[in-house]
Amino acid sequence: MSSRSLPATRLINVGQNGVGRYVCQLARITLRFCKHQASSRGMRDFVENYLVDFARSNPNVVVYVKPHRHRGASIQADYLNGNSHKTRVSKMDMDDICKWIELARTRSGVDIVRKTKNFQTHSPSIQGVWHPFLFKDPSVNLKTFPDSEYGRFEVNEVTATERILQLAERMKQLELEKGEGKSEKDGESV
Amino acid sequence: MAAPLLRHLSRTNVIARRTVLAFSKHNNDMQCRYLRNSKSLPPYLKEQVERRTKVGPEPKRHPSAFGCWNYDAELFAFGKRLGEDFDVDILREAFISRSYIEMEIEERKKVGVKTQIPDTSCNEELSIEGKQLIQKYLKAYLRFNFPYMFEEGICAICEYLMTTEILASVGKLIGVRDLIQSKHYPPTDEEMVDTFMAVVAAVAKSQTEERAGAFVVDFLVPRLVGKDINEMWKLDNPMGLLSAVLQSRGMASPESRLLWQTGCSSIMSLYHVGIYSDKELIGRSPGETLTIAEKQAAKEALKNLMKSDDSRPPFLSSSKVPLKSLDLEKKNPSADLLLKLYSQSDTSAQRATK
Repeated sequence: MSSRSLPATRLINVGQNGVGRYVCQLARITLRFCKHQASSRGMRDFVENYLVDFARSNPNVVVYVKPHRHRGASIQADYLNGNSHKTRVSKMDMDDICKWIELARTRSGVDIVRKTKNFQTHSPSIQGVWHPFLFKDPSVNLKTFPDSEYGRFEVNEVTATERILQLAERMKQLELEKGEGKSEKDGESV
Repeated sequence: MAAPLLRHLSRTNVIARRTVLAFSKHNNDMQCRYLRNSKSLPPYLKEQVERRTKVGPEPKRHPSAFGCWNYDAELFAFGKRLGEDFDVDILREAFISRSYIEMEIEERKKVGVKTQIPDTSCNEELSIEGKQLIQKYLKAYLRFNFPYMFEEGICAICEYLMTTEILASVGKLIGVRDLIQSKHYPPTDEEMVDTFMAVVAAVAKSQTEERAGAFVVDFLVPRLVGKDINEMWKLDNPMGLLSAVLQSRGMASPESRLLWQTGCSSIMSLYHVGIYSDKELIGRSPGETLTIAEKQAAKEALKNLMKSDDSRPPFLSSSKVPLKSLDLEKKNPSADLLLKLYSQSDTSAQRATK
């Protein structure tokens, strides 16, 4: 399956949750397990040790515990948007189950799909839209074109002509210096 | 049809196949005959798919249909979810819709029970109360946030937030959907809206009105994030309003000037118009034609005057707004009134000059 055929979304915050007041999106959680089978051992441990604490610290989540005879253990998380996700947790130990339940509690409940970007902004620019006249000097409006100042061609490097002229000037200077030196020597001899 | 499949898919067989596969490379085909090349499996699956398409998708059912449902616990969790202390009886009433009462009356008639349900036990009264509360506190909050904005603009934003679409989605976010007692599931958008309003009224009745105001601000104002609040108020003649505003503030009347233009003979033409008052730029905007650009520039100037421009500070949270001491009745200046006042004075001035 290529990434084109798979569904993709941008990063979604359901209903701007948390901008005003945060609402935990997990509505109810149903724990199913067997009272006898070894595969439900971890879930039984969780129910004995942590379930009351979980329910007490999250009064906004309704917890249903449902023993099923001779079935694998599972966690069913129902979210406020109507989605429900089932995780099979048979043969898992208590710590793993704690992690799965924590995941269910902190999720928004939207389907897990590929994200095109890991960030999103609602107002891309508060400075306004770009336009071709941004940061342009208004004095251009009053000029008549072609204008010598605005039509000037600027060259950053030194051109060949300028280079030769510079060399010629330097040679002249050198010759002058030499001539001066000679005259001084002549004076000494005289 | 399923019997041979089950026999060959049984666990021992699969394990046996794996061990055989590990030792023999060439007779794969023989060992997986019933798994990969089964002649009975494709038609069986095909039949399943055909039957499913014929019947259609499963109808959505209330969570109580699946066995785990405790309405009292759900109501308690609803209150805790929102961080509010509800009076349970009022909250229970807020979730009873009109259609549920009608359904109940009909059912009782069928069975022949003579006890009657009072009509007032549904959430209609509460929702009316809630609607008034929402409008009152939302407008007060917006006026506090935008003290220079015209009353029409504030009403437009409030109207946008009071649409069925938004209120229903807010109701969904806080988990009203499963708790509504209604004839149909999922409940209609109108029922969701009524229930949300009734919940607001329930907050006010169980606690205080300010608490309900904070509730409204917390859940409705975030819906404005990423929306253009200035576009919600449809302005027909922004230039007329702008000149009236400038006149009322004692500033010179607006003068529009073309700042830039490019590509005038092409379909991508662009004009940039600025509006000046007392030789000061108060707003500017690009547009495809001169009239559009001027109109947009006038809107931009009004935005700047109302201090609702794009670079304004973000919305205040409900904890930073003194909801208790807010004057709920005080209104912002009205644009219509201003227009009437200054168009009259214009005509009288013209008469005087004549």
